[in-house]
Amino acid sequence: MDTFTVLARWLLGATFVYLGFHKALDPADFLKLVRQYDIVQNTLFLNSIAAALPWFEIFCGLLLLGGVAVRGTSLTLLLMLVPFTILVFHRALILQAALAIPFCAVKFDCGCGTGAEFICRKLLENFLLILLSIWLLAGRGRQLSLRFSLMKSPSH
Amino acid sequence: MSRGGYIVHASCKNRVKDNSIQYPAPDRQSAAGKVFVEALLVVVAGVAVAFAANQISPRGLALTRNYFPAENNHTATAAANANPAALSPAQLLAAQMRKNGLQLLDGGQAAKLFHDTRFKQNTVVFIDARDESHYREGHIPSAYEFDPYHPDKYFAAILPICRAAEQIVIYCNGGDCEDSETAAILLRDVGIANQKLFIYGGGITEWTNNGLLVEVGARNSGKLRGANK
Repeated sequence: MDTFTVLARWLLGATFVYLGFHKALDPADFLKLVRQYDIVQNTLFLNSIAAALPWFEIFCGLLLLGGVAVRGTSLTLLLMLVPFTILVFHRALILQAALAIPFCAVKFDCGCGTGAEFICRKLLENFLLILLSIWLLAGRGRQLSLRFSLMKSPSH
Repeated sequence: MSRGGYIVHASCKNRVKDNSIQYPAPDRQSAAGKVFVEALLVVVAGVAVAFAANQISPRGLALTRNYFPAENNHTATAAANANPAALSPAQLLAAQMRKNGLQLLDGGQAAKLFHDTRFKQNTVVFIDARDESHYREGHIPSAYEFDPYHPDKYFAAILPICRAAEQIVIYCNGGDCEDSETAAILLRDVGIANQKLFIYGGGITEWTNNGLLVEVGARNSGKLRGANK
């Protein structure tokens, strides 16, 4: 059994369930954090992101924990993680310039669900999550999965 | 799968078409394509579940509500980001509040009102514009709780008090916290006169740093905590 991959799947799933749950407990606070990135001005769009994203993360995390649509979920999380990491990095650069401190000394709440963190640690965490997502996207570790793939293979 | 195979009988060299035989059709979808389709299904299902969960959750957001009614907030934020050396976020926010017609109080003025006899008569009231957990951790003694992101929960209690009060001092964390401004605008929108509304810009942070007591738990719980504890 590919133990490492199953554990990686559970780790990634549990992480997103935790992060999503933490945000879902206080969506108003998450809304304020999303707004700080200043990428969306439209009220409906901004509120929709803040309202839906936490629960979407929980949904994806549960899929991974149960081993359902693993590759599709991994791809979805990867497509979320990469642009968000870039946004966080960009915001850290702005704060670094404003505060005139070393880059790794920049600390803020990026809205990830872990509270205020030093940027270097946050970037490292996201990088590991991205690596895990890519690993799962490769399609290994089908053990202990309820439905690894939603797409049926052709029968003979 | 496609139909239409041929059976060749051993005793007969004639080929007979037999539509019951099935041959696998070429797999037109690549593995990558299948993953993309699966991801799309996850997104569609996930988004549906997410919005449904938000609707059901008692803490869910109202999608069409403007939670930041103050005008030009993004302009202030963008200006701070673009020219950070010019003004601090707190100074920008103070300018923003004045622009929105709100009256600001400094720490000395807020403390003076707190010790005013009218405060004991409830004609001067303090309103804490933070969420419940922060309120309970410590608020200005006898301040009313009013989370502007869930105003419906508090309107019934807070509006009669605001209508009867002569001066209403609203605060949040201080610094670049905008919640007090949001709360003030909400109250103004429901008919509380603007001249009654004051924003204590320094907030609970300055209050505690100035060595003033805070009340823990519910309003008028009697549990007071000294400064910097």
